[in-house]
Amino acid sequence: MDFELTEEQRDIQKAAREFMEGEYDKEKILRWEKEHAFPFEIWKKAAKLGFIGIHFPEDYGGQGYGVMENILIVEEFCRKDSGVGVALSLTDFSSEVILRFGSEEQKKRYLPPITRGESISGGAYTEPNHGSDITLMSTTAVREGDFFVINGTKTFITNGSLADFFVVLCQTDPQARPTYRGQCTILVEKGVKGLEVSEITPKMGIRMTSTAELSFSDVRVPVSNLIGEEKKGFYQVLEFFDESRIEIAAQALGIAQGAFDRALDYARQREQFGRKLVEFQITQHKLADMATKVETARLLTYKAAWNFDHKGIDPKLTSMAKMFSAKVAVEVADEAIQIFGGYGYITEYEVERFYRDAKIMEIYEGTKEIQKNTIASALIGKLK
Amino acid sequence: MNIIVCIKRVPDTADADLAIDRSGRDIEKTGLAFDLNEWDSYAIEEAILLKERFGGTVTVLSMGGEDTNESLRKCLAMGADEAIRLTDPAFSGSDGFATAKVLAQAIRRLPYDLILTGTQAEDDGFGEVGVMVARLLGLSHVAIVTRVEMEDGKIRAHRELEGGLEEVVEVKLPALLTIQTGINEPRYVSIMGIRKVAKKEIKVWGLSDLGLKEEEVGLKGSDIGLERLFLPLVGEGAQILEGKPEEVAAKVFEILKDKGGLV
Amino acid sequence: MKEIMVVAEHRRGELRDITWEMLSKGRSLAEAMEGTLSVVLLGKGVKPFAEALRSKAHRVYLIEDDRLEFYNSETYERVLFQFLSEKKPFLTLIGHTAQGMDFVPALAIRLGWPLATDCIGIEPKDDSFTLIRQIYGGKINAEVSFVRKAPYLVTLRSGAFSVEEKKPIEGEIVTTSSPLSDEVLGRRFIEYVEASVGEVDITQADILVAVGRGIKDAENIPLVKEFADSIGGALACSRPVVDKKWLPKSCQVGTSGKTVKPKVYIAIGISGAFQHVAGMKGSGTIIAINKDPKAPIFSVAHYGIVGDLFKIVPVIKDKIKEMKK
Repeated sequence: MDFELTEEQRDIQKAAREFMEGEYDKEKILRWEKEHAFPFEIWKKAAKLGFIGIHFPEDYGGQGYGVMENILIVEEFCRKDSGVGVALSLTDFSSEVILRFGSEEQKKRYLPPITRGESISGGAYTEPNHGSDITLMSTTAVREGDFFVINGTKTFITNGSLADFFVVLCQTDPQARPTYRGQCTILVEKGVKGLEVSEITPKMGIRMTSTAELSFSDVRVPVSNLIGEEKKGFYQVLEFFDESRIEIAAQALGIAQGAFDRALDYARQREQFGRKLVEFQITQHKLADMATKVETARLLTYKAAWNFDHKGIDPKLTSMAKMFSAKVAVEVADEAIQIFGGYGYITEYEVERFYRDAKIMEIYEGTKEIQKNTIASALIGKLK
Repeated sequence: MNIIVCIKRVPDTADADLAIDRSGRDIEKTGLAFDLNEWDSYAIEEAILLKERFGGTVTVLSMGGEDTNESLRKCLAMGADEAIRLTDPAFSGSDGFATAKVLAQAIRRLPYDLILTGTQAEDDGFGEVGVMVARLLGLSHVAIVTRVEMEDGKIRAHRELEGGLEEVVEVKLPALLTIQTGINEPRYVSIMGIRKVAKKEIKVWGLSDLGLKEEEVGLKGSDIGLERLFLPLVGEGAQILEGKPEEVAAKVFEILKDKGGLV
Repeated sequence: MKEIMVVAEHRRGELRDITWEMLSKGRSLAEAMEGTLSVVLLGKGVKPFAEALRSKAHRVYLIEDDRLEFYNSETYERVLFQFLSEKKPFLTLIGHTAQGMDFVPALAIRLGWPLATDCIGIEPKDDSFTLIRQIYGGKINAEVSFVRKAPYLVTLRSGAFSVEEKKPIEGEIVTTSSPLSDEVLGRRFIEYVEASVGEVDITQADILVAVGRGIKDAENIPLVKEFADSIGGALACSRPVVDKKWLPKSCQVGTSGKTVKPKVYIAIGISGAFQHVAGMKGSGTIIAINKDPKAPIFSVAHYGIVGDLFKIVPVIKDKIKEMKK
């Protein structure tokens, strides 16, 4: 049992921290957030330094590290700024589906540009009528010769307006029972005929990230765009979530830590009734509770990452980390605003942004309710 | 061109509330983040820039315990080729003079054309080690350097004086420069850099490796020793300038002149 | 009798303030130790300085040489090595300035004498001194003492010692020969250059003149701008000024603005709320002008002027213009 990061991991963590501290410019960030703009300049720089797709093998432009190293970066980025952190961490969203299940050709074609900061990926799973339930897709892919013809609508698609390509979960066999055995994932590049992207805006938080609706009408893509086997789409996406939710847990952890850092700084400086806030026991206790929550979220998140790298997928652990860290992010950011008082409600003081950005953690990549289903099903087993 | 850079790992105290520990001779270090001394980060960057232009190697030296490896690794990740840590129980309590002797002794064992150090360290702020090392090695030096140009085995350096003035000097190589902040923009550590470092070994040299005697280093080999630490009076606040507006104005003029506030 | 030696510093035809500060402190040390105070002056054609220094020391050693026209660490080291080895003053005081930092550590090695740099306090103790230094960027003070025996070398921080008016001494000028020959030096002085004036990026400015709520109206901004121009400073401000759109956001200093560390920061009509202070407390020297003597800005400022900015600022501006001539 060893709770310490390795020297190399500490170096990565420190490099990520120093990078974001160096790039952090509150004025710009507040502007991007206000304008729902993606932080292009920081993204390009981060990619150049190897921070994006660090967990891809070297053959695909990555650095050959694991999920653990990736989430250390995600945590540090989100800690310094929730909006930029989330946006950067999601630029390779769903690329793992290609990494884990794609053909050599697909990996070589789609992954390296992501690590170079030249391409952004997206995953199109959620549909207007289904939400977190992906067992039956209304979006269909029908084979016509060497092509798939895709029809349907996907919503709340992360990177919708930014992505260069999407991993799209489609129903190829509506007759299959259970229905999810008739699904596949297909690569669709942006700009193809019949694909329409409409940004969903404005939204409460993660405003530097695009969220859009994709509508497919007779979108034709070559059969070679099929990722892995035809009947395995559902399983691929589930496995992908079991990996990516660790990253979401790390986003939440970073946001929680960042909100805490700001609250502690403020409490140290701010005077009320002739004393510093930190001198009041009520503030001390708040800070103690916040720090304990953050540390607990960290232990769970790191364990989930470690487990993934050393032992493999554990849906229960991943869901616990994602659900818990998300809850902690919301609670700690909420408490941070409370410590700031009126200032906390003002955009300039940032904790309100952390709070808004925290809330999505409990919603996207599976709501907390979905996480509970996963945890419970692992605990109880299948009910007859 | 072979360049040696001397660095130090220091606590980052810029935004920290500092307290003195129970011994009264050190600060409470728990909770403080440590990092490469700010001046040194400019020195290492300058060395790497010179290496990128003129070829050669960059070797980083630092005196300190195992924790110092973190800063040495950072320099390697930024682009240095080799790192050597100088450590020995006998070194503890060394002031700038004793530190300079240890560094100079290590440098004697290495090939070099140019030595760079930070102008001073954020913690002790002696501002003396680099120039002492130069003298111990019999080298020419320039302190507080803000610009370096190289031509035909000579360095043309700008050094910062008070009040926005710079002095341009020329030194023959081999030489030592103490680097001032702002001379360049220290690069970020890249993940590629970190991966390279993972394969590198940091050499460790002790007292006997350096051929130094115990009485030459540590407190015994120092010029000065610490008696105690104390907090500067807080809240004593500003020195209030009094008198007629004209008198106050004259005082302000003097202060501005003195503090480099007149361009 | 113990001799205290001050190494005079001058540049471009002017004795630098640190010289007077060292002489003032040197005098009180000499008195406390019943010793004598000397000053050594190196240069070319600097006899007038020697005359000026006479009233402050018992002896003014004047070492003139054409090769000393411009400061060079190597010539200074050679001359002072020879001179100090002969005189063996108990204590030598030198400025912890761009010049002192450049040659004193090398001189100390060459002499083999112990050195304490950047001291803000020095008092005699037994047969040595107690020295005060600032560490961790001035957040902590350290009391240190010499491990080795005299002669001692100490460099003093500029501005740390005040110049006290004392009865003139009328010391003697002792002309001393320079040991320099036409030996080949490793270092050569080329020229002085004025550092280029940056653009209006307040984080890069050496001097900032910042205005706060006390400026009252946009119409009054030019007053402060002119003052800033007269000292080559850039204009900055605190939050209320931006809120009222009197100055652009890029000028704002503080937690929600920029963090600045100029050499000199002049806060005009700024109360000093912590949000503002956090952005400028790292400045080298802070001068505050405010009508409220209890304004928190005065607890972070090094120098304070209590009064009406509309009365004080124009006078300072004119005075500076006049004195610069």
